Amino acid sequence: MISVTPKVLASDPEQLDLNNLSPEQVALGINNLNLYYGDKQALKNITMSIPKGQVTAFIGPSGCGKSTLLRCINRMNDLVDSCRIEGEINLHGENIYNKHVDVAALRRQVGMVFQRPNPFPKSIYENVVYGLRITGVNNRRVLDDAVEKSLRSAALWDEVKDRLHESALGLSGGQQQRLVIARAIAIEPEVLLLDEPTSALDPISTLTIEELINDLKKQFTVVIVTHNMQQAARVSDQTAFMYMGDLIEYSDTNTLFTAPLKKKTEDYITGRYG
Amino acid sequence: MDNLNLGRHISGQFNEDLERVINHVMHMGGLVEKQVSDALVAVAEADEELARKVLSNDFQINSLEVSIDDECTRIIAKRQPAAGDLRLIMAIVKTIADLERIGDEAEKIANVALESFSGDYKALLLSLENLGNRVIEFLRATLDAFTRMDAETAISVHKSDDKVDREYEALMRQLMTYMMEDPRSIPQIMSVIWSARALERIGDRCQNICEYIIYFVKGKDVRHLKAEDMKEL
Repeated sequence: MISVTPKVLASDPEQLDLNNLSPEQVALGINNLNLYYGDKQALKNITMSIPKGQVTAFIGPSGCGKSTLLRCINRMNDLVDSCRIEGEINLHGENIYNKHVDVAALRRQVGMVFQRPNPFPKSIYENVVYGLRITGVNNRRVLDDAVEKSLRSAALWDEVKDRLHESALGLSGGQQQRLVIARAIAIEPEVLLLDEPTSALDPISTLTIEELINDLKKQFTVVIVTHNMQQAARVSDQTAFMYMGDLIEYSDTNTLFTAPLKKKTEDYITGRYG
Repeated sequence: MDNLNLGRHISGQFNEDLERVINHVMHMGGLVEKQVSDALVAVAEADEELARKVLSNDFQINSLEVSIDDECTRIIAKRQPAAGDLRLIMAIVKTIADLERIGDEAEKIANVALESFSGDYKALLLSLENLGNRVIEFLRATLDAFTRMDAETAISVHKSDDKVDREYEALMRQLMTYMMEDPRSIPQIMSVIWSARALERIGDRCQNICEYIIYFVKGKDVRHLKAEDMKEL
């Protein structure tokens, strides 16, 4: 082993060894996951561990399977008729594809936010408490507390606290996206899946969301799919590069963006012809 | 140039930007090499005119350093280079700083050529020749490794700095003997020592450049590594 100069800066990040995580460090364990749409194989033997309390980014060209993989984590692909899945995704040591798993309960543990903000045509307040209401929470004080806590976590509270009962559709795109994140975290999931959460937003709203992602990882495990490589570099702790259904390289973000091991990764992140 | 893969970016503009900056670095390397060899010739042949030319040419190297730095800053701002591209830009920024300092060392050597050495002591200047040749060879090999971005050459060139150091120590011992034998020679010998020191520093800076080449190609920072660890590369 080459002995390197010892790290002396306080800002030097502690790197996790992604191949040797202890069970307590793992939020999601994906094992030999294969996914087929009809005859076409969209995910090929994906095995990776997503660490707890960190941000993990999936990057890759369109059609590489990154969104498909993200959607597998809360079984969104169940809705696609021709879709067949093999392998397992373990949450708390249990495969979420086991027959007896209650998908609604799973989605309470694994929240998701999409590319375009999709608030319900209701008030801001009702949007945030929606998930709690359908789980039967009706206590006004509990709901009020949840609204404030979630909106604060989503960095939206100060902007909307005086108009909680106005329609959510009156908010700007960036605010709507943060509202949707507040709605997702109101039910306190463990994992938050973000599918290109800023691709419909302006650069300033994007930075606000990125800042928010950094705060969210204190409470949740965040998995993000993004087309914007600089965004993956900025917000994530780990990055997985996927190409045509294969997981090509998965390592800590600092390494992946400065000295990737695989040539395909290098070509993609430097914008070269593959 | 093969290791650079410059031409394969989807953005043709980015290819051009990188090619341009690389060409400027090579041009700067060529100038620096010329400055060092001119300075050594000026000393060996007591050629005042050549020595003055070396002194007046240094500004070209300085201004190249500034403009290459500027180009690199613009590339970072506009292209957000990553991976190999990022390492290339970092390697260039550091390399040109060392090249500029090598230019300054050439100036120091040229200054010695302007001092008047009385006949008895002219022979002293010849003693610089071996070390000078060794360093020129070393600088050439370094620039060659940079041009081809060849890590293997860079590693072997890096090791050969030992030879420069040995040559330097041998020369120092020789000069000390002279000083002990003839204290009147000390002022002149001091000038020779400054030149020898400048040459030895050029060797160190070439070693730095080799480290940047290795960093670019292998993605490993090998600065301050022990010799035995370098072997593992």
